[in-house]
Amino acid sequence: MTSTLLTTAPTIAPTSTLGTHSKGLTMNPIFAVTRLHLTRRIMTFGLPVIYVGVVALLSIMISLISWRAGSQPGSEGWIAGSQANPGLVWALGGFLGYMGVASTATTFRFAITLGSTRRSFTLGTLLWNLIVATYLAAVLTALTAIELLTDHWFIGFYIFDIFILGYGNLLITFVIVLLGTLTLLTVAGVFGAAWIRFSNRGPILLGIGIGLVLIVAILILIPQAAEIAAAFRPWWLAVAAGVMIILASLGSWRMLRRAIIR
Amino acid sequence: MTDHIVLEGVTRRFGAHTALDSVSLRLPAGSICGLLGRNGAGKTTLLSLIAGQDLPSEGTVRVNGHSPFEHAATLAGINLVRDNQRYPDDFDVRNVLSIAPSFLPHWDAELAEQLVAGFRVPRGRSIKKFSRGQLSAVAIILGVASRAPLTLMDEPYLGLDVNARRYFHEVLVRDVAEHPRTVILSTHHVEESESLFDRVLIVDEGRVLLDAGIEDIPDLAFAVSGRDDVIRDLTADLDVLRLQTVPGLASATVRGRADTEFIARAEAAGARILPVSVADLVTAYGTERTPEEARA
Amino acid sequence: MFTGTTPLFQQLATRLADDIVSGTYPEESAVPSATDLAVFFDLNPATASKGVNLLVEQGALYKKRGIGIFVAPGARELLLAQRRERLRADFVEPLVREARLLGLDPVEIERLVRDTIAKEPS
Repeated sequence: MTSTLLTTAPTIAPTSTLGTHSKGLTMNPIFAVTRLHLTRRIMTFGLPVIYVGVVALLSIMISLISWRAGSQPGSEGWIAGSQANPGLVWALGGFLGYMGVASTATTFRFAITLGSTRRSFTLGTLLWNLIVATYLAAVLTALTAIELLTDHWFIGFYIFDIFILGYGNLLITFVIVLLGTLTLLTVAGVFGAAWIRFSNRGPILLGIGIGLVLIVAILILIPQAAEIAAAFRPWWLAVAAGVMIILASLGSWRMLRRAIIR
Repeated sequence: MTDHIVLEGVTRRFGAHTALDSVSLRLPAGSICGLLGRNGAGKTTLLSLIAGQDLPSEGTVRVNGHSPFEHAATLAGINLVRDNQRYPDDFDVRNVLSIAPSFLPHWDAELAEQLVAGFRVPRGRSIKKFSRGQLSAVAIILGVASRAPLTLMDEPYLGLDVNARRYFHEVLVRDVAEHPRTVILSTHHVEESESLFDRVLIVDEGRVLLDAGIEDIPDLAFAVSGRDDVIRDLTADLDVLRLQTVPGLASATVRGRADTEFIARAEAAGARILPVSVADLVTAYGTERTPEEARA
Repeated sequence: MFTGTTPLFQQLATRLADDIVSGTYPEESAVPSATDLAVFFDLNPATASKGVNLLVEQGALYKKRGIGIFVAPGARELLLAQRRERLRADFVEPLVREARLLGLDPVEIERLVRDTIAKEPS
């Protein structure tokens, strides 16, 4: 009885050559987190472009409606109206906000499981945000360039050559999209971090907190509003974006540092 | 030998709930340790703290002399996939296999592929749609193929069918034999994994009730059974962990070792002395205290 | 597969010894590695090594570095001698104790043993 058991023992032996070591693939922990985000390729590279496409399509529809309504493509009123349309910001901004929250909220737990520190996670996520922002800036700059080269799509449609993207100045377009996207993603990331740290009440309290700070700031600055408006330079926005990106990253890190994983 | 894992006075509270209550323990390197206890005993919390995925409310945790929390070099040598592990949205097994080597320095990609085939886990389906058993398989694949010097497995048996369980043991035993490391495996199903352990930790209500090498178990407790009045009489002055009775018969699990004098008395009274298994010990410790005593 | 009363490594050693005595593993033949035994019997690798090492210490098995574990020359005789030594303590003494408890006298016990041998198909 016992002998039959033992004699069959070696027959399961073939599994013994289980694998070989594949060392040397481990990355810098920050890049590893960036790669973790990049593994979600559709989220990173597919959806933003699809979203830009949808927004462009909506712009075209609106243009068509106003054409049918009697406005002439290429007329001064037409150009002014098209260029002033801020729809792109709202539509793309909303999506990027979702993307920023989701990238932190759904990836953090797995990154920790893989041995990432919370610091590496924050920095790696920031780097991924930068990649997405650069990519989107390149896409929108390219589309603007095509719009300019084709004399506004041969008809006179102003979709990307608009006020909010810097009136067709390609360098400005690139910088605006880059900084704008990066700011949105990192600020949204803080909301994702707040959700991980404090669950549902986190983002609500954070939203209220930021709102209060803004109101107080306005209350303090409102007497000088006219002077500030007169002195305003566009580069202020770039500085403000930089400050917000840094503050948001620090905020994310602070919150994730003490976040409990359940 | 230096201690691999050292916990001193570790308490972990979640709001009003105390998940771990001043736990101190030392574990040597290179064992397969069973972390045993009932659901909600504090097993996952303990593993989380050892893995540096959480910080204690009080006390210190050291792995190889470092607090693992936010310590990248220490974290690189630890792997813990929790029983309720979340994966990024829409992640499938291919994604997991492609990202793991970027983080895990000892990752064995070939072994991982073999395990995916062995467990018959679908590669391309979203992990969100996985069954409980498939989730456990993914956790086991990550744990075993990570070859982490400290591999922590949180309830790896959940939802596994008999074949998968058998396969898991085969893979774990072989891989640990060929690539020695420390494994801590938490489970509330003791019988099916008992023979794998060379050390056991029993936790209940946030406390470590037993920390012992498997060879010491016979010295820690024994069972004595017979007529109920005889058993009550024999164990009157002893530390009884658990007493089971049916009318006329009783069986007591007693802390300590049965000495020759006791064996003689028991035999004379017609009672039988039996060794206890690890499963018996877990049951005995799990029922040791009444809820009132536990709260006190 | 194994039962709870004696330590697992001893039970494994006993099984291996049984198989050497019965000729399943002839002298100078390879026995499964400790790892294979651990996998097969669902044992801790350290426990399996301990069981194998017990027989190595007794001289029934020997290790060839990097190749495997083999049955030592004379292992069967060695294990048989060990068992013969234990025959009295393990079997004869309990038999006599039980027989006396049942009220058999030495002559009756002897007859019982002889009868059993006679009935045993050789």
